[in-house]
Amino acid sequence: MICCKECLDLLSDYLDGDLDAQTSSSLEEHFQDCPPCIAFLNTFKTSTELCRESLSKVEIPEMVQIKLKEFVTQNMRKKE
Amino acid sequence: MSFTQNKETREAEEALVREFQGGNLKAYDKIAEIYQKRIYALSFNLTHNPMDAQDVTQEVLLTLFKKANTFKGKSAFSSWVYRIALNTTYMKLRSRKKEPNVSLEDLLPSYNTSGYQQDKIQDWSENTESLLFANETREVIQKAVDQLPEKEKVVFVLRDGEGLSTEKVSDILDLTIPAVKSRLHRARLFLRKKLSPYFEEYHSQRGKK
Repeated sequence: MICCKECLDLLSDYLDGDLDAQTSSSLEEHFQDCPPCIAFLNTFKTSTELCRESLSKVEIPEMVQIKLKEFVTQNMRKKE
Repeated sequence: MSFTQNKETREAEEALVREFQGGNLKAYDKIAEIYQKRIYALSFNLTHNPMDAQDVTQEVLLTLFKKANTFKGKSAFSSWVYRIALNTTYMKLRSRKKEPNVSLEDLLPSYNTSGYQQDKIQDWSENTESLLFANETREVIQKAVDQLPEKEKVVFVLRDGEGLSTEKVSDILDLTIPAVKSRLHRARLFLRKKLSPYFEEYHSQRGKK
Protein backbone atom coordinates (compact mmCIF):
# COMPACT_ATOMS: atom_id res chain seq x y z
CA MET A 1 0.00 0.00 0.00
CA ILE A 2 1.18 3.55 -0.72
CA CYS A 3 2.20 5.75 2.23
CA CYS A 4 0.64 9.07 3.30
CA LYS A 5 3.31 11.13 1.52
CA GLU A 6 2.77 9.42 -1.82
CA CYS A 7 -0.96 9.84 -1.33
CA LEU A 8 -0.89 13.54 -0.38
CA ASP A 9 1.60 14.35 -3.16
CA LEU A 10 -1.00 13.20 -5.67
CA LEU A 11 -4.01 14.90 -4.08
CA SER A 12 -4.34 17.74 -6.62
CA ASP A 13 -4.03 15.33 -9.54
CA TYR A 14 -6.60 13.08 -7.86
CA LEU A 15 -9.12 15.89 -7.35
CA ASP A 16 -8.48 17.38 -10.81
CA GLY A 17 -9.14 13.96 -12.39
CA ASP A 18 -5.60 13.69 -13.78
CA LEU A 19 -4.76 10.23 -12.40
CA ASP A 20 -5.16 6.92 -14.18
CA ALA A 21 -7.71 4.49 -12.76
CA GLN A 22 -5.10 2.27 -11.10
CA THR A 23 -3.39 5.11 -9.21
CA SER A 24 -6.76 6.53 -8.16
CA SER A 25 -7.73 3.16 -6.69
CA SER A 26 -4.42 2.97 -4.80
CA LEU A 27 -5.22 6.34 -3.22
CA GLU A 28 -8.76 5.28 -2.37
CA GLU A 29 -7.42 2.09 -0.83
CA HIS A 30 -5.10 4.18 1.33
CA PHE A 31 -7.94 6.49 2.38
CA GLN A 32 -10.00 3.52 3.59
CA ASP A 33 -7.34 2.63 6.13
CA CYS A 34 -6.09 6.08 7.04
CA PRO A 35 -8.45 8.50 8.86
CA PRO A 36 -5.80 11.29 9.02
CA CYS A 37 -5.54 11.21 5.22
CA ILE A 38 -9.33 11.28 4.87
CA ALA A 39 -9.38 14.37 7.11
CA PHE A 40 -6.57 15.85 5.04
CA LEU A 41 -8.39 15.09 1.79
CA ASN A 42 -11.64 16.66 3.03
CA THR A 43 -10.01 19.81 4.38
CA PHE A 44 -7.75 20.14 1.31
CA LYS A 45 -10.74 19.81 -1.00
CA THR A 46 -12.84 22.28 0.99
CA SER A 47 -10.13 24.91 1.37
CA THR A 48 -9.33 24.66 -2.36
CA GLU A 49 -13.01 25.07 -3.24
CA LEU A 50 -13.50 28.00 -0.85
CA CYS A 51 -10.43 29.78 -2.22
CA ARG A 52 -11.47 29.12 -5.80
CA GLU A 53 -15.00 30.44 -5.12
CA SER A 54 -13.68 33.47 -3.28
CA LEU A 55 -11.18 34.44 -5.97
CA SER A 56 -13.58 33.91 -8.82
CA LYS A 57 -16.18 36.16 -7.19
CA VAL A 58 -14.15 39.31 -7.87
CA GLU A 59 -16.26 41.68 -9.91
CA ILE A 60 -15.30 44.87 -11.59
CA PRO A 61 -17.27 47.75 -9.98
CA GLU A 62 -19.79 49.46 -12.24
CA MET A 63 -18.11 52.85 -11.74
CA VAL A 64 -14.80 51.38 -12.93
CA GLN A 65 -16.51 49.90 -15.99
CA ILE A 66 -17.92 53.30 -16.88
CA LYS A 67 -14.50 54.96 -16.49
CA LEU A 68 -12.83 52.28 -18.61
CA LYS A 69 -15.48 52.65 -21.28
CA GLU A 70 -14.76 56.41 -21.40
CA PHE A 71 -11.05 55.64 -21.59
CA VAL A 72 -11.53 53.21 -24.48
CA THR A 73 -13.72 55.75 -26.32
CA GLN A 74 -11.07 58.46 -25.81
CA ASN A 75 -8.38 56.18 -27.24
CA MET A 76 -10.55 55.48 -30.26
CA ARG A 77 -11.28 59.18 -30.82
CA LYS A 78 -7.58 60.04 -30.76
CA LYS A 79 -6.92 57.63 -33.57
CA GLU A 80 -9.85 58.67 -35.75
CA MET B 1 -15.40 33.91 -13.54
CA SER B 2 -14.26 30.81 -15.33
CA PHE B 3 -12.54 31.06 -18.68
CA THR B 4 -11.86 28.04 -20.82
CA GLN B 5 -11.15 29.04 -24.36
CA ASN B 6 -12.24 26.73 -27.15
CA LYS B 7 -11.00 26.79 -30.74
CA GLU B 8 -13.96 28.84 -32.01
CA THR B 9 -13.51 31.55 -29.35
CA ARG B 10 -9.80 31.71 -30.08
CA GLU B 11 -10.42 32.08 -33.80
CA ALA B 12 -13.15 34.71 -33.25
CA GLU B 13 -10.84 36.74 -31.02
CA GLU B 14 -7.97 36.52 -33.44
CA ALA B 15 -10.26 37.69 -36.24
CA LEU B 16 -11.10 40.72 -34.05
CA VAL B 17 -7.41 41.41 -33.52
CA ARG B 18 -6.76 41.26 -37.27
CA GLU B 19 -9.65 43.67 -37.83
CA PHE B 20 -8.21 46.07 -35.29
CA GLN B 21 -4.73 45.72 -36.78
CA GLY B 22 -6.33 46.61 -40.10
CA GLY B 23 -7.71 49.84 -38.62
CA ASN B 24 -11.21 48.88 -37.45
CA LEU B 25 -11.57 50.70 -34.13
CA LYS B 26 -14.84 49.01 -33.25
CA ALA B 27 -12.88 45.77 -32.99
CA TYR B 28 -10.75 47.37 -30.25
CA ASP B 29 -13.92 48.30 -28.36
CA LYS B 30 -14.98 44.64 -28.48
CA ILE B 31 -11.56 43.39 -27.39
CA ALA B 32 -11.62 45.80 -24.42
CA GLU B 33 -15.12 44.61 -23.55
CA ILE B 34 -14.04 40.94 -23.61
CA TYR B 35 -10.89 41.40 -21.54
CA GLN B 36 -11.42 44.19 -19.03
CA LYS B 37 -13.25 42.03 -16.47
CA ARG B 38 -10.62 39.31 -16.62
CA ILE B 39 -7.73 41.75 -16.38
CA TYR B 40 -9.35 43.47 -13.40
CA ALA B 41 -10.06 40.19 -11.58
CA LEU B 42 -6.55 38.87 -12.19
CA SER B 43 -4.91 42.08 -11.04
CA PHE B 44 -7.19 42.39 -8.02
CA ASN B 45 -6.39 38.85 -6.93
CA LEU B 46 -2.67 39.61 -7.13
CA THR B 47 -2.70 43.10 -5.57
CA HIS B 48 -5.83 43.08 -3.39
CA ASN B 49 -6.12 46.74 -4.08
CA PRO B 50 -9.08 48.06 -6.13
CA MET B 51 -7.21 51.21 -7.23
CA ASP B 52 -4.24 49.17 -8.43
CA ALA B 53 -6.53 46.77 -10.27
CA GLN B 54 -8.26 49.70 -11.97
CA ASP B 55 -4.94 51.33 -12.95
CA VAL B 56 -3.58 48.05 -14.25
CA THR B 57 -6.71 47.39 -16.33
CA GLN B 58 -6.51 50.86 -17.86
CA GLU B 59 -2.79 50.49 -18.61
CA VAL B 60 -3.32 47.10 -20.22
CA LEU B 61 -6.16 48.43 -22.39
CA LEU B 62 -3.84 51.24 -23.49
CA THR B 63 -1.03 48.77 -24.24
CA LEU B 64 -3.44 46.66 -26.29
CA PHE B 65 -4.45 49.80 -28.18
CA LYS B 66 -0.87 50.81 -28.91
CA LYS B 67 0.78 47.42 -29.33
CA ALA B 68 -1.87 45.21 -30.93
CA ASN B 69 0.02 45.51 -34.23
CA THR B 70 3.01 43.73 -32.63
CA PHE B 71 0.90 40.63 -31.86
CA LYS B 72 2.09 38.01 -34.33
CA GLY B 73 -0.06 35.07 -33.32
CA LYS B 74 2.75 32.82 -32.08
CA SER B 75 0.61 31.94 -29.07
CA ALA B 76 -3.08 32.58 -28.41
CA PHE B 77 -4.07 36.25 -28.17
CA SER B 78 -5.53 35.58 -24.71
CA SER B 79 -2.13 34.28 -23.50
CA TRP B 80 -0.52 37.44 -24.85
CA VAL B 81 -3.06 39.62 -22.99
CA TYR B 82 -2.57 37.68 -19.75
CA ARG B 83 1.22 38.14 -20.02
CA ILE B 84 0.82 41.90 -20.48
CA ALA B 85 -1.60 41.98 -17.53
CA LEU B 86 0.83 40.06 -15.32
CA ASN B 87 3.79 42.28 -16.26
CA THR B 88 1.78 45.44 -15.64
CA THR B 89 0.61 44.10 -12.27
CA TYR B 90 4.19 43.24 -11.25
CA MET B 91 5.36 46.73 -12.21
CA LYS B 92 2.64 48.09 -9.94
CA LEU B 93 3.58 45.77 -7.08
CA ARG B 94 7.24 46.73 -7.34
CA SER B 95 6.36 50.24 -6.20
CA ARG B 96 4.64 48.85 -3.09
CA LYS B 97 6.29 47.84 0.14
CA LYS B 98 6.19 44.09 0.22
CA GLU B 99 5.01 41.96 3.10
CA PRO B 100 7.50 39.15 3.70
CA ASN B 101 6.33 35.82 2.34
CA VAL B 102 5.90 32.95 4.73
CA SER B 103 8.16 29.97 4.10
CA LEU B 104 6.26 27.47 2.06
CA GLU B 105 8.23 24.55 3.42
CA ASP B 106 6.90 25.22 6.94
CA LEU B 107 3.38 24.75 5.73
CA LEU B 108 3.78 21.53 3.79
CA PRO B 109 2.63 18.31 5.49
CA SER B 110 5.20 16.62 7.73
CA TYR B 111 5.92 12.90 7.63
CA ASN B 112 7.86 10.35 9.66
CA THR B 113 10.66 8.34 8.06
CA SER B 114 8.20 5.80 6.63
CA GLY B 115 6.25 8.56 4.88
CA TYR B 116 3.27 8.61 7.25
CA GLN B 117 1.62 11.84 8.40
CA GLN B 118 2.80 13.34 11.66
CA ASP B 119 0.41 16.27 11.95
CA LYS B 120 -2.79 15.90 13.90
CA ILE B 121 -5.53 16.69 11.41
CA GLN B 122 -8.91 17.97 12.50
CA ASP B 123 -11.61 17.56 9.88
CA TRP B 124 -13.40 20.91 9.72
CA SER B 125 -14.73 20.38 6.21
CA GLU B 126 -18.42 19.93 7.03
CA ASN B 127 -20.92 22.79 6.96
CA THR B 128 -18.56 25.33 5.52
CA GLU B 129 -20.96 26.58 2.81
CA SER B 130 -22.05 29.66 4.76
CA LEU B 131 -18.42 30.71 5.21
CA LEU B 132 -18.35 31.97 1.67
CA PHE B 133 -20.94 34.62 2.37
CA ALA B 134 -18.93 36.18 5.16
CA ASN B 135 -16.74 39.15 4.17
CA GLU B 136 -14.36 38.09 6.91
CA THR B 137 -13.76 34.77 5.13
CA ARG B 138 -12.86 36.54 1.92
CA GLU B 139 -10.42 38.76 3.77
CA VAL B 140 -8.84 35.78 5.51
CA ILE B 141 -8.50 33.98 2.17
CA GLN B 142 -7.05 37.09 0.48
CA LYS B 143 -4.46 37.49 3.23
CA ALA B 144 -3.46 33.84 2.95
CA VAL B 145 -3.15 34.10 -0.85
CA ASP B 146 -1.03 37.25 -0.37
CA GLN B 147 1.43 35.28 1.72
CA LEU B 148 2.04 32.69 -0.98
CA PRO B 149 5.46 32.90 -2.61
CA GLU B 150 5.21 34.63 -6.03
CA LYS B 151 5.85 31.53 -8.14
CA GLU B 152 3.06 29.59 -6.48
CA LYS B 153 0.72 32.58 -6.19
CA VAL B 154 0.59 33.40 -9.88
CA VAL B 155 -0.11 29.78 -10.83
CA PHE B 156 -2.82 29.53 -8.18
CA VAL B 157 -4.52 32.78 -9.22
CA LEU B 158 -4.52 31.86 -12.92
CA ARG B 159 -5.52 28.23 -12.44
CA ASP B 160 -7.97 28.29 -9.53
CA GLY B 161 -8.94 31.98 -9.57
CA GLU B 162 -9.30 32.52 -13.30
CA GLY B 163 -10.31 28.93 -13.97
CA LEU B 164 -7.72 28.50 -16.73
CA SER B 165 -6.56 25.03 -17.77
CA THR B 166 -3.13 23.68 -16.79
CA GLU B 167 -2.11 23.87 -20.47
CA LYS B 168 -3.17 27.51 -20.73
CA VAL B 169 -1.23 28.46 -17.60
CA SER B 170 1.83 26.65 -18.90
CA ASP B 171 1.54 28.64 -22.16
CA ILE B 172 1.13 32.01 -20.38
CA LEU B 173 3.98 31.48 -17.94
CA ASP B 174 6.19 29.46 -20.28
CA LEU B 175 6.41 26.61 -17.77
CA THR B 176 6.20 22.87 -18.28
CA ILE B 177 2.94 21.12 -17.36
CA PRO B 178 4.58 19.28 -14.40
CA ALA B 179 5.94 22.62 -13.11
CA VAL B 180 2.45 24.19 -13.23
CA LYS B 181 0.95 21.18 -11.46
CA SER B 182 3.61 21.10 -8.78
CA ARG B 183 3.30 24.83 -8.02
CA LEU B 184 -0.49 24.60 -7.94
CA HIS B 185 -0.34 21.67 -5.54
CA ARG B 186 2.12 23.45 -3.23
CA ALA B 187 -0.09 26.55 -3.24
CA ARG B 188 -3.15 24.51 -2.31
CA LEU B 189 -1.25 22.70 0.46
CA PHE B 190 -0.04 26.04 1.80
CA LEU B 191 -3.54 27.53 1.76
CA ARG B 192 -5.09 24.51 3.47
CA LYS B 193 -2.65 24.74 6.33
CA LYS B 194 -2.73 28.52 6.55
CA LEU B 195 -6.54 28.62 6.59
CA SER B 196 -7.07 25.62 8.87
CA PRO B 197 -6.97 27.53 12.21
CA TYR B 198 -9.69 29.90 10.98
CA PHE B 199 -11.89 27.13 9.62
CA GLU B 200 -11.30 24.95 12.70
CA GLU B 201 -12.49 27.76 14.93
CA TYR B 202 -15.55 28.33 12.76
CA HIS B 203 -16.30 24.61 12.88
CA SER B 204 -15.98 24.40 16.67
CA GLN B 205 -18.12 27.56 17.14
CA ARG B 206 -20.87 26.00 15.07
CA GLY B 207 -20.58 22.80 17.09
CA LYS B 208 -21.32 24.71 20.29
CA LYS B 209 -24.52 26.26 18.96
